[in-house]
Amino acid sequence: MFLTLYSLLAIILFLAFSAYKAAEYAKMPMHGRLDLYPIPKEGGRLEYGGSYYEELEWWRKPRHVSHGAEIIDMLKEMLFIKKLFDNQRPLWWLSYAFHLGIYCLMGWTVLLTVLAVAGLNGVAVMGAGAGIILVLKILLGIAGVAGFLLALIGSATLLIRRMADGSLRRYTTPQEYFNLLLIFVVLCTGIYAWSLAPSFDRPLRVMEQALSLQPLVLSGAGVLHVVLLGIMFFYIPLSKMSHYVGKYFSFHKVLWDNSPNTPGSAIGKEVEKAAGYRPHTSWSAPHIKGNGATPGKTN
Amino acid sequence: MENVNDLKPSDLGRPDGQLTKLDKLMDLPAPYDKPGMEPDFKEIKPAWQEKYCTTLDGFVGVDTLQRPKTKEEEDEFVRKFLSGLEKIFTDANNSSLQPLSLTFEYCAKCNTCSEACHIYEASGHNELYRPIFRSEVLRKIYKKYFTKSGKLLGGFVGADIDVNWETIARLGELAYRCNLCRRCAQTCPLGLDNSIMAREIRKIFSQEMGIAPTPLHNKGSVLQLKTGSSTGINKAAFLDNIEFMEEDIEERTGLKIKVPVDKKGADILLIHNAGEFVSWPENPAAFAILFERAGLNWTLSSSLIGYDSVNYGIWYDDTQAKKIVQEQQKAAQELGVTRIVIGECGHAHKAAALVGDRIVYGEDKVPVESFLPLLWDAVQKGAFKFDPSRNDFPVTLHDPCNVVRGMGIVEPQRNILKIIAPKFREMTPHGVYNYCCGGGSGFAIMNSLNFPDFRNKVSSRMKFKQILDAFADTAADPTILKYVCAPCSNCKGAIRDIFEHYEATTKFNIHYGGLVDLMVNALADLPRPFLTFDE
Repeated sequence: MFLTLYSLLAIILFLAFSAYKAAEYAKMPMHGRLDLYPIPKEGGRLEYGGSYYEELEWWRKPRHVSHGAEIIDMLKEMLFIKKLFDNQRPLWWLSYAFHLGIYCLMGWTVLLTVLAVAGLNGVAVMGAGAGIILVLKILLGIAGVAGFLLALIGSATLLIRRMADGSLRRYTTPQEYFNLLLIFVVLCTGIYAWSLAPSFDRPLRVMEQALSLQPLVLSGAGVLHVVLLGIMFFYIPLSKMSHYVGKYFSFHKVLWDNSPNTPGSAIGKEVEKAAGYRPHTSWSAPHIKGNGATPGKTN
Repeated sequence: MENVNDLKPSDLGRPDGQLTKLDKLMDLPAPYDKPGMEPDFKEIKPAWQEKYCTTLDGFVGVDTLQRPKTKEEEDEFVRKFLSGLEKIFTDANNSSLQPLSLTFEYCAKCNTCSEACHIYEASGHNELYRPIFRSEVLRKIYKKYFTKSGKLLGGFVGADIDVNWETIARLGELAYRCNLCRRCAQTCPLGLDNSIMAREIRKIFSQEMGIAPTPLHNKGSVLQLKTGSSTGINKAAFLDNIEFMEEDIEERTGLKIKVPVDKKGADILLIHNAGEFVSWPENPAAFAILFERAGLNWTLSSSLIGYDSVNYGIWYDDTQAKKIVQEQQKAAQELGVTRIVIGECGHAHKAAALVGDRIVYGEDKVPVESFLPLLWDAVQKGAFKFDPSRNDFPVTLHDPCNVVRGMGIVEPQRNILKIIAPKFREMTPHGVYNYCCGGGSGFAIMNSLNFPDFRNKVSSRMKFKQILDAFADTAADPTILKYVCAPCSNCKGAIRDIFEHYEATTKFNIHYGGLVDLMVNALADLPRPFLTFDE
């Protein structure tokens, strides 16, 4: 029963810590503009990187914001890691294998959950199944096998590349090796535990046990896998591996946020509010409070 | 000295001498591909080594960063830096907190950004200039002093750097080996921006420690706030300049133009980089000719800072930037204009239009516009009659980073050039993916000690290569005049210095200038060419 509660808690804390982190970034104060073109929501101008500043008296004209173009660009980055593909292809193969593997494993987890819920509600999900269940089981098999293999190959090759390539090695901290190693070991233990009873129904049964708050029936390797998986879930949102949170803010709230402060706009009100804020901390250089020169010596 | 390829961020804390020396720079194309075509670096003077921090790469960018005389001074220097480092993550730094935190926390260290950096490329891939190098040093110091993980786990989380005067001083210098052009950020798969880290280091030095390069601070923003202009031009001198400009226009073109100054109720307040009046007076003159021809209701301002669009604060000090933005807005509000138009100055575009956009608010806020859409509109309306054959020489366009990458103004300048310059050709790459001129973020005006060597041979090297490539068909032929159109004062300053350093004008007839100058040169009814290409 401990493992059941532990694994559910790990997932809940993963989601809670990730949400907390997102909330922390979301409530950070308004920052100075850091537009970086091309900005997808400029729509028709995206191709060459243009903006509304190309228009005469732009503030008198309605703004055309293309949310569709923004979503397409965002999906290209999320699903294909386009910037890495465009700018560093050799690393992209490794990173993409890794991330695609993770996406497959996320899909696998969702399918396991759906099938387990169905099974708990009396639908026959074990064995080959038929109709929609058969389709879901095929998808489950593909997602599981592809996910484990791609993520394993990706994490291993990223780890090796990082250790072998001096230009990456000299910037990599032991913790960053640990991050990749942790994922690699979790995948290895998962594959090993699965290989002891190589059936697609085996992980489904474990998911049913977890969702119905029953004790998990696992081999020794399975227990080790679940313990390590739980540690990984606790740890990811606390580490830089939570870049799935940061990436949203760095693109949408920093590089692509080019909303102008026009009279009466929501941005204008935010600017006014920020201007009225009195910080608790202040800078110490002598010129901060006046126009005077610093005491720095000059030639 | 460390092999350039073995250098790592923690080496910044090494107590011994100079960390790296530039010896294998990126090759230049013809006609600069032969030995002896390029002057060597100047040797560092022993007196500089005693007084300044020359132990990074042998260059001195921060002339106010001087070696301590006592242990107490050294300790105080380190203490102040750490105090400032702590503050960048507090509400004293609200305007940068989110972007800084993101870049600080999430860098995957994939080095995708490296090859986007013109300085890293030009240096022959010297490790010191990788965009993440200085960021990683800052992370290490912060973790060591301000995070629980750093204090408990030390080297495991990267908190493995010795912090002493040399470390901090080298980091201060290293912050001035980045043009803040943000080209690296365009390639980051996580949307992070290493230029933010470079600028934050500059801010710690200025806002907490009172240390900034003299040309940027004491002779830059401080002088501007005191006299009205970083050039030192006060109101009386400005008015003299305008009078001189009117005479010059008449002499060059026969046109009698009364340049409007402090015209209440004008539609447009045009603000130039005041450096134009000093170094390139033909540029504001060309603006006056074009604005009058276009029938615009415009004015210049003679009030404090109303006649100088520069804002060096955006490169190193938020507080200075804010004061200047507010003064410029005040000048516009006093005149009752409906818009501020920024002339040919890239960083002034960013300062007034973007930085100011998060500082000034309310009904009195005067909208800011670039001169580019305004002139393109006038061209489209047929305000000017051009004879493109007057510009019948190869022309290429340098894109100022702040105008293209920072504001997305890409097409108007090209549309105009396609009309007035029949031999216009693009650089590669161009537009939002352009390379910086090498003078960005203050480098163009930082002429202390041996820093111009770094600018001319390293930070501007990629731009010089691009220019030579753009003129590959005629670059070596001194009988053919070539023109680099650089619609930005700082960029022009950097390009001027490149051409002097490499003798590109005297040897190969390559010139530079603004866009408006070229437009006026193409005006069909002027009795003689507006531009003169003296060597």
